[in-house]
Amino acid sequence: MRRYLHGLTVWMMVGLFVLPVVWMVATAFKSPGEILNAGARLWPEQLSLSAFERLLAGEFPLLIGNTLMIALMATGLSLLVSFFSAYALVRYRFPAKLDRAFLLAVLVIKMMPPIVVATPLYSLINQLGLLNTKLGLVLCYQVYTLPFCIWMLLGFIRDIPLEIEEAAAMDGAHLFKRLGFVVFPLCAPGLVATAIFSIILGWNEFLFSLLFIHTPDKFTIPLYLANFMTEDGTAWGELMAAGLVSSLPMLALAGYMQRFLLRGFSLGLK
Amino acid sequence: MLFESRKQLTLLLLPALLILGALTLYPILSVLVNAFGSVDYASKHYLFVGLDNFRELLDDFFFIAAVKNTFMFTVVASCAQVLLGLWLAVLFHRQFPGRRFALPVIIYPMMLSTLVCSSIWRSWYHYDFGLLNTVLTWLGLPAQEWLFNPDLALYSIALVDTWQWTPMAFLIILAGLQSIPKDISEAAMVDGARPLRAFMHITLPLIQKQVMLAFLLRSIDTFKLFDKVYVMTGGGPGNATETLSMFVYKYGFRFFNLGMASASALVMLLISMAMTLLYARKVMKGGKQ
Repeated sequence: MRRYLHGLTVWMMVGLFVLPVVWMVATAFKSPGEILNAGARLWPEQLSLSAFERLLAGEFPLLIGNTLMIALMATGLSLLVSFFSAYALVRYRFPAKLDRAFLLAVLVIKMMPPIVVATPLYSLINQLGLLNTKLGLVLCYQVYTLPFCIWMLLGFIRDIPLEIEEAAAMDGAHLFKRLGFVVFPLCAPGLVATAIFSIILGWNEFLFSLLFIHTPDKFTIPLYLANFMTEDGTAWGELMAAGLVSSLPMLALAGYMQRFLLRGFSLGLK
Repeated sequence: MLFESRKQLTLLLLPALLILGALTLYPILSVLVNAFGSVDYASKHYLFVGLDNFRELLDDFFFIAAVKNTFMFTVVASCAQVLLGLWLAVLFHRQFPGRRFALPVIIYPMMLSTLVCSSIWRSWYHYDFGLLNTVLTWLGLPAQEWLFNPDLALYSIALVDTWQWTPMAFLIILAGLQSIPKDISEAAMVDGARPLRAFMHITLPLIQKQVMLAFLLRSIDTFKLFDKVYVMTGGGPGNATETLSMFVYKYGFRFFNLGMASASALVMLLISMAMTLLYARKVMKGGKQ
């Protein structure tokens, strides 16, 4: 009896946590009339694709491409740079415990509220002539993605046995050869996990795109959603369709990413 | 011998140092400089004013409100998330039918972007058509102005954050529970300790570290609160949901008062740094392998 009660409680909690997601999916498939009239009816009477059709006819597909491109470029840059520095932090002997100081500084940057650096970053991007451009956002996103990638890769590089590298060095492989042919392949799974998290960071980022992007055709998805919400209070069908489409990759990856989630969201915690 | 070369070390670190230097260190330093100055927006002329900006902040009714709101939100949301996460972790620690499928599903909220979460809940909070008021009316309870009642709005946003991030506290604490050696929990059972007593005296002390880390991580994160407020209430009604991030944003990008924006940003940075150092002390123990 108590076992059933336990199972029932857990599944009720799971249901409570998933309900908003289910509601999002259901609402995306409702016809405009049904959304406001149906009261608490959860599932649509008739599946309607009209929200998706309207969405696809607008600038949404273009913005998906924009956002993906920015997230990919920001991740590519961060991953490359952090691969070298994480490797140095794990393997090399630093003078005066500078490695710990560096890691701590990186952690502080990762944890600080991004609004702290927003005004100086604005003038910097403005001086570079990169306001309202993809490249400007790619640079700004380094504030999030680079510290994240450095901390995340540390653990993966630590897992690579030193002996393999030493053997390669005995065979005459110098630093960049070892990095390219030994370290890189061995931490490829870690690089993939790190890249996924970093892409998600960029994909979901809101503050910097709000501040640095001004024209609707250059919006990122979060900015598009924000604009949609504040302009049109109850066009929920399209809003939820947009939310659903933009969340699909993450929901699909949830199972795969589960084992990396702790590392990814807590930095340094395993 | 292999990892002694300073030249290689510098070369490997240089790209990261350049990017972080230009995009974070330089901005932080200019916040520091601007916090003690008054900058004319048009001419960019800088005048050192000492602590004037901070004095003005302390006299600023909106700043005090923002500090209070941010503090309330941070404490309420983090506590709710950790307690709920702890409870869920205990529930999930025991086997139940379908556990394998429940685990990936319950973390869905934290996989969604904050903007998607906000849009779902903004719809749910709608006074006339929102799901929550429909349910309340159906139960015979009065409908609520979830986002427009000054006494309620901040907690409505805290509820969204709790929904989105409880899964994270849950995962951290569950990992702690799973690292407890089996014989310890079995010994407690054999001793005939009541479940609640056994939990309070045996289990909880063993996962204390994870609970603290979850609380710190959530506090660091809830302290940043911006996106949800920006799209759900804009800081209103009145200034009921004005947070420190919103305050910096408004002074920096709407009122163009760089001195005040930088001073308040500096306050935020210091608080966030203090929390991060606490976190780092717990996590960074132990040297290199």
